[in-house]
Amino acid sequence: MNPTIMINERVDVMARFRDKGNYQTLCYPCLMKYKGRTIEFTELGLRHATKQGTRMIHVFDMSDGTSDYRIEFDAEALTWTLVAMIENGQ
Amino acid sequence: MKHFIDPKPANIMHIDLNSAFATAEQQAHPSLRGKPVGVTNRKVTDYGCVIAVSYEGKALGVKVGMRIDEAKRYAPNLIVLESDPAKYKHMYLKLGGIMKSYSPKVVMKSIDEGIIDFNGTRDTINTRPLLDIGREIKQRVKEDLGCAVRVNVGIGQNWFLAKQAASYIKPDGLFQLDSSNLIEYYKSKELLDLSGIAERFEARLNAVGIRTVMQFFEAEPEFLKRHVFRSIDGYKWYRRLHGISPDPDDVTTKLGHVGRQYVLDKRTNKSEILLPRFHYLCETTGKKLRFQQVDARGILVWFHYDNGESEVWRKMFRTRFYTDKEIYERALLMFNRRDTSLNVASMGITCYKITPSTRNQLSLLDDIRKEEWLTEAVDEVNERYGNFMITKLSALEGKKVVKQKIPFGGTRYFELLLKRA
Repeated sequence: MNPTIMINERVDVMARFRDKGNYQTLCYPCLMKYKGRTIEFTELGLRHATKQGTRMIHVFDMSDGTSDYRIEFDAEALTWTLVAMIENGQ
Repeated sequence: MKHFIDPKPANIMHIDLNSAFATAEQQAHPSLRGKPVGVTNRKVTDYGCVIAVSYEGKALGVKVGMRIDEAKRYAPNLIVLESDPAKYKHMYLKLGGIMKSYSPKVVMKSIDEGIIDFNGTRDTINTRPLLDIGREIKQRVKEDLGCAVRVNVGIGQNWFLAKQAASYIKPDGLFQLDSSNLIEYYKSKELLDLSGIAERFEARLNAVGIRTVMQFFEAEPEFLKRHVFRSIDGYKWYRRLHGISPDPDDVTTKLGHVGRQYVLDKRTNKSEILLPRFHYLCETTGKKLRFQQVDARGILVWFHYDNGESEVWRKMFRTRFYTDKEIYERALLMFNRRDTSLNVASMGITCYKITPSTRNQLSLLDDIRKEEWLTEAVDEVNERYGNFMITKLSALEGKKVVKQKIPFGGTRYFELLLKRA
């Protein structure tokens, strides 16, 4: 019923920063290494910022075309965390 | 007089995000687009309540407010996600930003809808037809929020008519109601199609012989006041239906009470399970009081039991209160009076007799000052490191299981909610 798989693991991410363009796509992760697999993102679903106390967290909802991934960038600790995923929309 | 319609131009625009929370989830999760998606405010269980449903789900008969097990009967493949307040705030702020770029007179009526008042801006910055501006806003929403996000835009002479226009074509609609098409529109609608008219008001209208929207429209204001609504609401309805200027009373809400409620995952009569949750409800209620800068004098506590019975207690106190400790101590008196032989299905606490805060006045009593300082210090730490980072040990278990709900109506607690998110 709820297809979300909670993961909460630090991951290697390659991100892209752009000097101009749509607000949503000024910065976004392109590649992620997870469990030895390289995942290439093909779509940015939504990017939004949130706070944990005073720490700014940028949340990226990404898709590789089949599965969706929620990745969080901690702007203070400079870490990327794969928080959750939905496999094949199931 | 019978068909009087205010001749002024339609300068009010109502913007409404379609199935806001469900659409936000579909935007964030491309794999869920085109599928029936529901959002619930708590852990996804059969007992949870669907607070938003995507258009695909609505097409299958799923409605907001259904229990998840009931919704699954209509849509066996329904995907249900937990609500994500930060995501919805992002949408809310983005939508508000777009709206404010057209006029300084913008009112967000709730998390997913707002009003732009173009009066006073039509001769200078917004000279284009409002239908053009509406199309532009729809396009900007797609660009800034995402391709899956759609809005209904309605244009009318007042808030009511703008909202009616926004709901005329769903989803992704754009419609204008003005003196040229209002009568035709009313002829095509039923009383229950009017925003603000539910079964009870329909019955009242029917009782005096008003069975159609046109009859409602043609009724005299005095008649509506004296015989239908028996209050000033009769005049308000006359003004709404006739396109007479915006009625700010429509959104002015007075803070009457502050509270929290909780539906238990597993119904139980065990105090060791109920008390931490109850204590946590008291703490979140205190947080809301302080956030609103108000004090309370009364407390109401209620329990619904699994056999269908309920118990309610209320008590007024001589002194005002706002700290977590004060609320908990007062509410505990009533908690202990519940029927311990019955399993609790849901429970709640409400603080009433709300007045503006007096907490800046220094007390001469040391104990009171210490309690106030402690509350302020805890709030400050929580503000810095995340809400409820410091919490009473006895409320800790409650903190783990009681989820914060997305407010449906106003955006009064949105900032507070996000601090917790």
